[in-house]
Amino acid sequence: MSHFDPVNFRGHFEFFQQNPDWVYLDNAATMHKPTAVLNAITRFYQRNNSNVHRGAHTLSQNATRAFEQARDDIAAFINAKDRQQIIFCSGATAALNQIAFGLMHTVLQPGDRILITALEHHANIVPWQLHCAGFGVTLDIVPLTADNKIDQQAFTRLLALQPKVVSFSHISNVLGHIQPIAQMIQQAKKAGAITVVDGAQGIVHDRIDVQLLDVDFYVWSGHKLYGPTGIGVLYGKTELLEQLKPIFGGGEMISEVQFSHSLFNKLPFRLEAGTPDISGAIGLAAAINWLQKFNTNEIKNYKTMLLKQFYNGLQAIPGLDILSSPVHNAGIVALNVQGEHPADVAELLNQQHVAVRGGQHCAMPFFSQLGLAGAVRFSFAPYNTEVEVATSLQALAQAVEILTA
Amino acid sequence: MTLDQLLTDTKPALSQIYSTDLPELSQAKDWQSKYRVLMQLGRKLPAIPEKMKQPSLLVKGCESRAWLMHYYNQHQDQHFFVLDSEARIVKGLMAIMLCLVNGMSNTDLKKFNLAQAFDKLNLKPYLSQSRGSGLNAMMERIKSCCH
Repeated sequence: MSHFDPVNFRGHFEFFQQNPDWVYLDNAATMHKPTAVLNAITRFYQRNNSNVHRGAHTLSQNATRAFEQARDDIAAFINAKDRQQIIFCSGATAALNQIAFGLMHTVLQPGDRILITALEHHANIVPWQLHCAGFGVTLDIVPLTADNKIDQQAFTRLLALQPKVVSFSHISNVLGHIQPIAQMIQQAKKAGAITVVDGAQGIVHDRIDVQLLDVDFYVWSGHKLYGPTGIGVLYGKTELLEQLKPIFGGGEMISEVQFSHSLFNKLPFRLEAGTPDISGAIGLAAAINWLQKFNTNEIKNYKTMLLKQFYNGLQAIPGLDILSSPVHNAGIVALNVQGEHPADVAELLNQQHVAVRGGQHCAMPFFSQLGLAGAVRFSFAPYNTEVEVATSLQALAQAVEILTA
Repeated sequence: MTLDQLLTDTKPALSQIYSTDLPELSQAKDWQSKYRVLMQLGRKLPAIPEKMKQPSLLVKGCESRAWLMHYYNQHQDQHFFVLDSEARIVKGLMAIMLCLVNGMSNTDLKKFNLAQAFDKLNLKPYLSQSRGSGLNAMMERIKSCCH
């Protein structure tokens, strides 16, 4: 029996008190922030605001302490060996750009290959593309099976080409499918590749132990983990982080600057140019500390229950094409009303105050493979309720009725 | 199908939308009936055949794809348009837009203010809530046809 109390959990989010007539099912785009996060940010600005690392004064030292405590909390959250392995950046997109840029200039050589999958969103495609052509590096794509899962046989086959880097998402942002990352990381490592996991959707679903996974890079955005926008985390193995060429140059990341050249600072600072998002890091740490008061498995069970209720309800609505599988699903359902454009379906849901995403979800290559204009995406969070699931099903049925009348 | 034919078919559809559907839309009691009218509107405009949907006609800035064709009658100083969208609600909203500007002179089209026109017809809510739908992008493209 689950002890998770959804009413109590939802009570932590003022957003819902302010928007009582909305059903928010766009959680894969961004999540709402609990009061603990909002308070931590406000408190920082009210009491401790100063720039970090450089001030001779006590206030700056206090701000630095709070900022570095956030790094410690995040390192502990994912069981990183060392705090310097946590690099703050603006989000998963920035992290992937840093990794792609940093490896291209150091580790990767002309003629090398990189392997990604056909399920990736643009942030795990474009940063590689930006540099591949210029550096003579080839990008290979793992295709999908008929049920929109990563084709594991093809993955094994493409690993035989000995890619230097293998990069894939933990959980598909379009379909919600959970990838077998532990197994894929092991396979990629056996083939001698550096492994990069885009955890934008994964970090919120399950506890991550980066040492257990033995992953080389794991990245995510704070705002999809109950934290503020503008902050994200790039976790990496120390020896690899040291090899990354910094994508940004500026303050904090250098130890010595002359007009002829500069010497870089040590980790983590060499990859954190300029004033960091201090309040963002503190807000993200507050989110993580708050979240750990709840039991991950109970939250997962609750989300599974909502998902089951939603899938059961979908059976009663005629004319749907459901793209997501209910198995190994992190709480995202992508679907289409047959013959209708997802933008129309999303707009009719919007009229009924059900917030979903309709379109290509920054995954154009995925949808072009399927020959689809996109999909309507319902993404659930533990603060959603059974009543909301029922409401969204009714709204979808109403939309279908209007569209097919 | 040629541009001439599309223009010929679009014209009466637009005048019918203006005289029949717009009043119906403003009298609709609930959102369901409004959207039913909107979707019918889109159906009344002829579709641009797939073959004619050249990439240059694609209007960027829409969640759904939309296409615009233009013809300027220099002799009579009139701009004429044909449009299509893969999303029905968007096409309906664009049809309303089109029936307000089709046949306008260059000077009038340059001056045309969509927000004001929609406001007059009590349609402004559609404009603001559908920013992502590409209505504004379509209007910009229409205006870019002016000289």
